[in-house]
Amino acid sequence: MCDFSGRLVAWMDRELAGDEAAAVERHVRGCAACRRRVDTYEEVSRAFIAHCDAAMGAKTRRRLQHWVPVLSSAAAAAVLLIVLQPASVKPIPVSPRVADASPAIVLQTAPMRVKRVYRPRRIAPTKTPNADWAFPEPAIQIALPVEAMFPPGAVPEGITIIADLSMGTDGSVQGLRLQP
Amino acid sequence: MSGDSLPLPLPLSCFAADSCEATTLYRELRKPLLRYLVCLGLSADDAQDVVQDAFASLHRHLASGGPQENIRSWLFRVAHNGARNRQLSYDRRFGKPLDPDLESISGEATPEQVVLEKEKFHRLGKAILLLTDSERECLLLRAGGLRYREIGEVLGISTSTVGETVERAIKKLAEKCNV
Repeated sequence: MCDFSGRLVAWMDRELAGDEAAAVERHVRGCAACRRRVDTYEEVSRAFIAHCDAAMGAKTRRRLQHWVPVLSSAAAAAVLLIVLQPASVKPIPVSPRVADASPAIVLQTAPMRVKRVYRPRRIAPTKTPNADWAFPEPAIQIALPVEAMFPPGAVPEGITIIADLSMGTDGSVQGLRLQP
Repeated sequence: MSGDSLPLPLPLSCFAADSCEATTLYRELRKPLLRYLVCLGLSADDAQDVVQDAFASLHRHLASGGPQENIRSWLFRVAHNGARNRQLSYDRRFGKPLDPDLESISGEATPEQVVLEKEKFHRLGKAILLLTDSERECLLLRAGGLRYREIGEVLGISTSTVGETVERAIKKLAEKCNV
C-alpha cells in the first residue's frame, strides 16, 4: 500500500491543493497499483450514481404503477361496456299506439261515431289580367241564398259561400273569388 | 430514467421577481436534490414535497435579503433537514433506502450482460446498505456534485472529515463489490 493511497479519492475529486495534487498525479503515473485503484474507485463512483438514478427511477415508476391497475381496470370496463352494450341492453319498450290500446277501453263504453273534422280547402286565387290585383276590404256586402246562384243540391246544406267581387269604375267585374 | 420525468414541483414564475440565480439554481439542482432525497429513503412524492419546500424557503431567504454565499449547500441542508424531519415521522418507509430497478440502466445489453449487471448492482446495493448514515450521505451529496466543503456545510462536519469519510466509503464499496 502506497503512502498516496489514502489521497486517491480526494485527488480524483479535485479536492487537493495544487502541489499535493501534482504530487499524487506524478505518483499515479508511475504506480500501476494506484492506477488500478483509481480505475476501481472511478468505476465504483459511476456505479453508485447509476444506482441512485435507478433507485429514483424505480420509485418514480412505482408511483405510476399504483395508477396502472386503476386505469387499466377503468379502460377494460369501458371497453367491455362498449362491446357488450348491444347484447346486454334491453330494448326500449315501445308504448302501444293509441289505436292499438283503445279497443280495451272502447269495449267498456258505447261505440262512438267518428267525427270527421272538416278542413276547408283553400281555393287558389284566380288568375286575373291584373297580377297586382288584391282583395280590398269589402265595401258592400250582399247576402244571397245559395239556391239563387247554384242548382238545387249542388251545395250541401249549412255551407256558406262568400263571393268577393272586384268591380271596375265602369261597373265591369274585374275579379271574382269564392270562399266557403 | 430521468428526474425530468417528474413534474415540476414549483412554478418558476415565483422566482421571476427575485433573481435569475434562483431560477438557474432550480434548474441545476432540482434533479440532484430529488435524487439525494429519494436515495435517503424518501418516496418520490415526499421528495417532491421537500424539494418544493426547500425552494420556497430559498424564495423567502432571497426575498428577505439573506446572504447568497454557499447557496447550494444551503439548499441541500434545508432539503436534508426536511428529509430528516419526514423520516422521523414516517420511519417505517425507509427500511430499504436503495432499491434499484436495473431494467432502466441495462439499455440494449445482451441477456448475459444484464445478468452480470444485475448481480453487480445487487452486490452494490447490499454494500451501500452496510455503509454508515454519514458515509452514505457523503457519497450521495458527492454524487450530487457538491464539493467536500459544501458537503461539510450540509452535514455539519469538517471538510477533512468529509474527505476521510468519502475515501472510506468508496473503499468499502470497492471491497464489497470486488470491483
